[in-house]
Amino acid sequence: MVRPGEHDILLTSMHNLNSRQESAVQRANYMWMWFSKLGSPKWFYELSGKWLPWLVVAMSLLLVVGITWALLFVPPDYQQGNTIRIMYIHVPFASISLAFFPLMAVAGTITLVWRMKLADMVAKTAAPLGAWFTALALASGSIWGSDIWGTWWIWDGRLTSMLLQFFLLVGVISLRSALEDAEAAAKACAVLSIVGCINVFVIKYSVDWWNTLHQPSSGFSLSDQAPNPPEVWIPLVIMIFAIYLFFAVSLILSIRNEILVRERRSQWVEELVQGT
Amino acid sequence: MSETRTSTGQAFRATLKRDLLIAYKRKNDVVNPFMFFLIVATLFPIGITPEPERLGEIAAGVLWIAALLASLLAMDSLYRADYEDGSLEQLLLSSHPLYFMVLAKNIAHWLVSGLPVVLVSPLIAYMLNLPPESYLILFVTLLLGTPILSLLGSIGVALTVGLGSRGLILAVITLPMSVPILIAGTLTVQQTLNGASLLGYLAIMGAMLLAAISLAPLASAAALRISVN
Repeated sequence: MVRPGEHDILLTSMHNLNSRQESAVQRANYMWMWFSKLGSPKWFYELSGKWLPWLVVAMSLLLVVGITWALLFVPPDYQQGNTIRIMYIHVPFASISLAFFPLMAVAGTITLVWRMKLADMVAKTAAPLGAWFTALALASGSIWGSDIWGTWWIWDGRLTSMLLQFFLLVGVISLRSALEDAEAAAKACAVLSIVGCINVFVIKYSVDWWNTLHQPSSGFSLSDQAPNPPEVWIPLVIMIFAIYLFFAVSLILSIRNEILVRERRSQWVEELVQGT
Repeated sequence: MSETRTSTGQAFRATLKRDLLIAYKRKNDVVNPFMFFLIVATLFPIGITPEPERLGEIAAGVLWIAALLASLLAMDSLYRADYEDGSLEQLLLSSHPLYFMVLAKNIAHWLVSGLPVVLVSPLIAYMLNLPPESYLILFVTLLLGTPILSLLGSIGVALTVGLGSRGLILAVITLPMSVPILIAGTLTVQQTLNGASLLGYLAIMGAMLLAAISLAPLASAAALRISVN
């Protein structure tokens, strides 16, 4: 652990070394400096404050263009009619939901190995976001399914593994809230996220295995409708980028909150709150 | 410091023996999961149907779910007493690799809580009207599968050992992780009815068991070090 005071000394000493000579070792040191800087909550708070307006503008632009295009201008599907428009919400949420366990596992590994504060903040804030995104993917899929499959729920491989991923995320969240000591909670959740990440893949394969034996060729896959014309997939790509940006903005906002809560006793947060 | 140092093998055996001895003296922990298994298996015919044909169709799943729940119930006693009386800390402080100590505890725990469930399963299978050709394979899958359940459950218990009330959180963490084993177990039993070759299925369960033996105690050990700080 590098304390704030030591951190500055470390930075200046490394800077001096760098100005003297450039070698591979120094470049490695430079990497480490960047890495330790990345872990500094204050630095991230300031940097993300600069990024945030741009991200919000890009997100809003893509969302407005994507939703308008998808809801008003995409031609109705020859089979599904206007129901196809749900795809523009469902597919982005479903695709990003799959990223949460890998993200939390990587953040957890960094927490366990390098004890970087920021990595744990990412892991902590990603879990509830992941649960929300997974729930939205399930809900939007369910609404879509109610029309084209004639049922709100079916024990299909994808749906089942998504539901189980939701349960695993809830497990991580409840473990975090049950453990009172913040550092122990961070490490425990890191271990659980790594185990959970492996498990999500095993579940995915086993559920597919189970499903294909029980009800072969459900024929609901998106690839059935390929090849799609550009006016169908371009808005989808726009929506996917929009939802990814939405995720990035949500994550950054949650992390900034978390930084303020955890660093509430430090001087820079007090100055920030008092508006000096 | 004493002159005689124990080898890891000796420590492994000592831990195993100690846990078995404790279980023998505290028979409640052994009997309760076993009774729980019997009672849960009894609830299904009462709650769903007493008709032999329909029972036979769901028997494999019922037995597996009952074994899963019994294993979950039994997990609670794995580290709790050791955590409360401080012997878990001694285990963490010992110079032997924690992996082997955790493995010894898991094996002892499975022998007293998992194995009885496996042994009684053919009887319950008969009562639930499972087709007779599936008895042996059900027994084998439970024999391969319940140790995996114990090893996975051990991670959950290790993560929550410091908590006062952890029954529900343990279930929320562990049960979703057990799904692949449940799938593998019930699918294998169902395959006996189709007359398909079972070697592939059993090989997958064996692979899962080996993966769990080699990886799960590592995660349990890491979790114990975090929980007992």
